[in-house]
Amino acid sequence: MPLGTLDRSPPAFFKQGPSAISKLLFFSALSVLLMVADVRFGVTQPIRAVLSVGLYPVQWLALRPQMLVELGNDYMQARDVAQAAEWQARQQLLVQAQRSGKLEQLALENHQLRELLGLRERLETTGVTAEVLYDAADPYTRKLIIDKGLTHGIKPSSPVTDEHGILGQVTRVLPLVSEVTLVTDREHSIPVLNTRTGARGVAFGETGGAPLLELRFMATNADIEVGDMLSTSGVDGVYPSGIPVAKVTKVERRAETVFARILCEPVGHVQGARHVMVLEPLTDKLPPRPPIDKPQPYAQAKGGRR
Amino acid sequence: MIMPRGHQLLLPAKPWFIALSLLVALLINMVVNMSLVGNAAWVPDFLALVMVFWCIHQPRLVGIGMAFFLGVVSDVHQSALLGQHALTYTGLGFLAVMVHRRLLWFSVPSQAMQVLPLFLAAHCLALTVRSLSGAVFPGWELLLAPIVEALLWPLVSVILLAPQRRAPDPDDTRPL
Repeated sequence: MPLGTLDRSPPAFFKQGPSAISKLLFFSALSVLLMVADVRFGVTQPIRAVLSVGLYPVQWLALRPQMLVELGNDYMQARDVAQAAEWQARQQLLVQAQRSGKLEQLALENHQLRELLGLRERLETTGVTAEVLYDAADPYTRKLIIDKGLTHGIKPSSPVTDEHGILGQVTRVLPLVSEVTLVTDREHSIPVLNTRTGARGVAFGETGGAPLLELRFMATNADIEVGDMLSTSGVDGVYPSGIPVAKVTKVERRAETVFARILCEPVGHVQGARHVMVLEPLTDKLPPRPPIDKPQPYAQAKGGRR
Repeated sequence: MIMPRGHQLLLPAKPWFIALSLLVALLINMVVNMSLVGNAAWVPDFLALVMVFWCIHQPRLVGIGMAFFLGVVSDVHQSALLGQHALTYTGLGFLAVMVHRRLLWFSVPSQAMQVLPLFLAAHCLALTVRSLSGAVFPGWELLLAPIVEALLWPLVSVILLAPQRRAPDPDDTRPL
């Protein structure tokens, strides 16, 4: 047996380096510092950006098996399935053509009516399509990662929709990817409008396990029923109005509380979306807020009386 | 070298193999997360498992600093609170370095029993950190993750020690 095949390096008697406990304390303190910087001050964006660019090739590699399986599935899909899909699409197209014809007429009518009323034009927004890369693995939050980032012109706080309704909002933009907080996340809230009654409210992500929303602060006797559709109201200046958000699935009226407990199911496919649309946030298009006059102390307003 | 009776003498570990195994563990984590289950609390953390393995077997090559770095990388990938995994991995690395002299004297199944508390502590630490930062309890299936990680320990031991168990002088009868 040649020399050097076994691990013959002598144990480090003298060159020990810092002790394990001091390393533990140092790196724990560093972690806590990072956490505080992340939560309180929000200054960790550069670290995340740099590391995420470094991680991107690894993530790209990790997505290859899934892509291969999907490619194989697509290839194996029988012709008649494709034909059936095409037939269905044609039918849909017919229906939609009819509807779009009607839409033009309605838009014209609406335009005239709005002019008549002297209302501001309804805000039109443009969007970017993106593909969902993966659900963030963190079990404590509900987030998606999409494949468009700073280099594609994504802005923070842009609303994100799929073909069914609102999915969430871009909360962090990294150079190549961005992070979307879903409407079902606990820290997310969205102003909504009941399309049946016109009542406005705010829907919050539900804290439990199932992906639901909770419509909070609605009085026990409020006019709300199971099956009501909720759409964005547009009052926040982030989400454009009139996009479906959720459907009421459960209304619990309890005698002991002032507010009813209303659970809603999101309309957008928050768990299975593949392609999403990132809309421009409305905040750029809205007129600037009027300056707020700071309340002056009474004494100064009266001219230096003490 | 003092070592348990009946143990095989191992070849030295190659640093590139350690780096590769950590990268592959990160890739497995990503594939499981991206393509298979999405976000679920019970999913075992393969990167933590491989890292603890190397902290126990090669504490001079993979230590607490490496654990911290891998934790930050994990945080960025999972878009979790930055520092959460860094803290838990640092703790895991420390515990692994503390037990590494004792643990290798036991058989592999009882090693698995003894790393279970390490992983349990790490997940409890992560849960505590997230609770403090205002998250809700993700469900009792969280307890499954350390158990699965401990159950994978024998498998990881076989796979990651295989290159070191090769014959020092390969010939025709022992090609590997």
